[in-house]
Amino acid sequence: MFLEIKDLSVKIENKNILNGLNLNINKGEVHAIMGPNGCGKSTLANVLAGKEDYEILDGKINFKDNDLFDLNIEERAQEGMFLAFQYPVEIPGVNITPFLHSAINSKRKRMNEEEIDNLSFAKLLKSKASDLGINIDMLKRSVNTGFSGGEKKRYEILQMSILNPDLAILDETDSGLDIDALKIVTEGVNKLKTKNNSFLIITHYQKLLDYIKPDHVHVMVNGSIVKSGGPEIAAEIEKDGFQKFQ
Amino acid sequence: MNIQDNYLKNRKNIFFSQNKDIQNHREKLINNFVNDRFDRKNNESLKNINLKNFIDFKYKYLISEETSVINNNQENSYSIVSVNGQCSNFKDDKIEITKILDEDYNDFSENNTIEKNDHFVNLNSLFLNSGFKIIIKNNNNIKIKISNIVTDDDLTIFQKNNIICQEGSSLNLIEEYENKNNSTSNILNVIKLEKNSQLNHFLIQDNSSNHNLIITSHSSCKKDSTYTQKVYNFSEGYVRNFHYSELIETNSEADLQGIFFLKDNNTSNNKTFVKHLAEDCKSNQVYKGILNDRSKATYFSNTHVDQVAQKTEGYQLSKGILLSDNASYFSKPELKIYADDVKCSHGSTIGPIDENAIFYLRSRGMSKIAATKILISSFINEELSSIDNQQMSEIIQKKLIRYLSKVK
Repeated sequence: MFLEIKDLSVKIENKNILNGLNLNINKGEVHAIMGPNGCGKSTLANVLAGKEDYEILDGKINFKDNDLFDLNIEERAQEGMFLAFQYPVEIPGVNITPFLHSAINSKRKRMNEEEIDNLSFAKLLKSKASDLGINIDMLKRSVNTGFSGGEKKRYEILQMSILNPDLAILDETDSGLDIDALKIVTEGVNKLKTKNNSFLIITHYQKLLDYIKPDHVHVMVNGSIVKSGGPEIAAEIEKDGFQKFQ
Repeated sequence: MNIQDNYLKNRKNIFFSQNKDIQNHREKLINNFVNDRFDRKNNESLKNINLKNFIDFKYKYLISEETSVINNNQENSYSIVSVNGQCSNFKDDKIEITKILDEDYNDFSENNTIEKNDHFVNLNSLFLNSGFKIIIKNNNNIKIKISNIVTDDDLTIFQKNNIICQEGSSLNLIEEYENKNNSTSNILNVIKLEKNSQLNHFLIQDNSSNHNLIITSHSSCKKDSTYTQKVYNFSEGYVRNFHYSELIETNSEADLQGIFFLKDNNTSNNKTFVKHLAEDCKSNQVYKGILNDRSKATYFSNTHVDQVAQKTEGYQLSKGILLSDNASYFSKPELKIYADDVKCSHGSTIGPIDENAIFYLRSRGMSKIAATKILISSFINEELSSIDNQQMSEIIQKKLIRYLSKVK
């Protein structure tokens, strides 16, 4: 199993958010989690990425034969986990290009691969940015600083395509995107899909799943998965809402 | 030894002791110390300071013969080695350097902008033992680098300098303070910018933990002149940087920037005070601090806009990053505006490093320590990238790397 989440219970500030959540993802699969506001979707994404604000009450997570809780935030990233943030953080003064260069090399170092030099990285970045319709001038700016909502999401996908993760978690990547930006972003995701990597897509709406076809769709309510199935569940939610699952 | 006995015992070695007026002024200062007529609670010169350590000191001063002024004519640049606050006399067609004289003392003692209850300035006036005067002559464009060296342990340097930029002149002044001995330098600079002159003043402070550095400066700007001060404090010892600026004629400007990097038990006190006394003048005060361990800092910034100073633009900003729960930074920005057509702003933000930004960077594979360092560098990126002097920029970068290497 690529990612195995077993009986995961999590709380923050005395409030239980995840309650005995189970989820298995195999290599090459695309999973979607849908659920109403406040059901714990983003908490799951943050816990997987290693955010330290949460208290793990119970459960286990295995990722690529590692106990995920033995890995800190950066080790998870270096092992191939990537979180595309719902609200990417603005970091004035940190330039995009050297930041991404340093990020890719930290991963390569852990994998005992040769570090990528400046010139090769510049070429790679330029080509990936062009695929996503990102203006080269944007790469001279600080991380997410002064970006529009759509630019931030596009930049998340650019980072994903550069870091080429084994498991990408997309936390409401569709929020704040107009239809054209949604197409560009989802095309970027589809280009990255191979039989060796997996995706966990968190969304409220079926629209995103029209562009990225999931193998499995899960409904999450009150911190646990209450129903799993194929893409037909997304259509069911679009039609009837989440009410009947609560 | 009490301050009065200390003064009387060493009077023969103190500058201008024979001058009756100066003597009278000093006696008044002594009386204030003896009678302790100071409001300690609201006195900005006393925050985080154990005054006793600075008042009950053992006076020691040595005159050194090793001062020098080297002139590189081709680049209009001069290197000055000031030893124990003294500098050699020098004169050419562009600049003139002399020892300070009795008549210069009034520039300091009669200055009404510098606070009268500033203990360090008063100590400086009482025990004055060194100092020099630099004049940049009309329409010359000059670069000067001053290395301020203190030769021995236990020295108490009380120094007054006078810098005058004559009409149309431009001075790029770099001052280095890198002393490793157990001593105290108390320096007062009075800077005058005549019409259409410019002074870019850089101060690099990197003293060891047993060296105290107290700098108080005052600049006055006439029509179309600009004073820029950039202070980079990497010292492990106590540093005080107080600057008072007066914009006395139209279209003059003061740009005051400071960055301090503190760690261990170190303390730094900072103050900038800008008086707008004429129309169409601009001022900018930006101080940033990074504080680790149990370090402490204060920053008082004041903008005073006189009723005649219409069309003033005055901006203040202070920011601080606390890298430890035990570090503290007290910031107090103040605006006093008596004119009605002005643009002024002030702001202050102090807090720990942004945990969300750390998480974001780590989630891309960067270690926590690397993420912290990159965020510290980014915090001062704007100020560092505005340094247009390549050599200065390299010096500051090296010192920043050294500071960051100690951040855990």
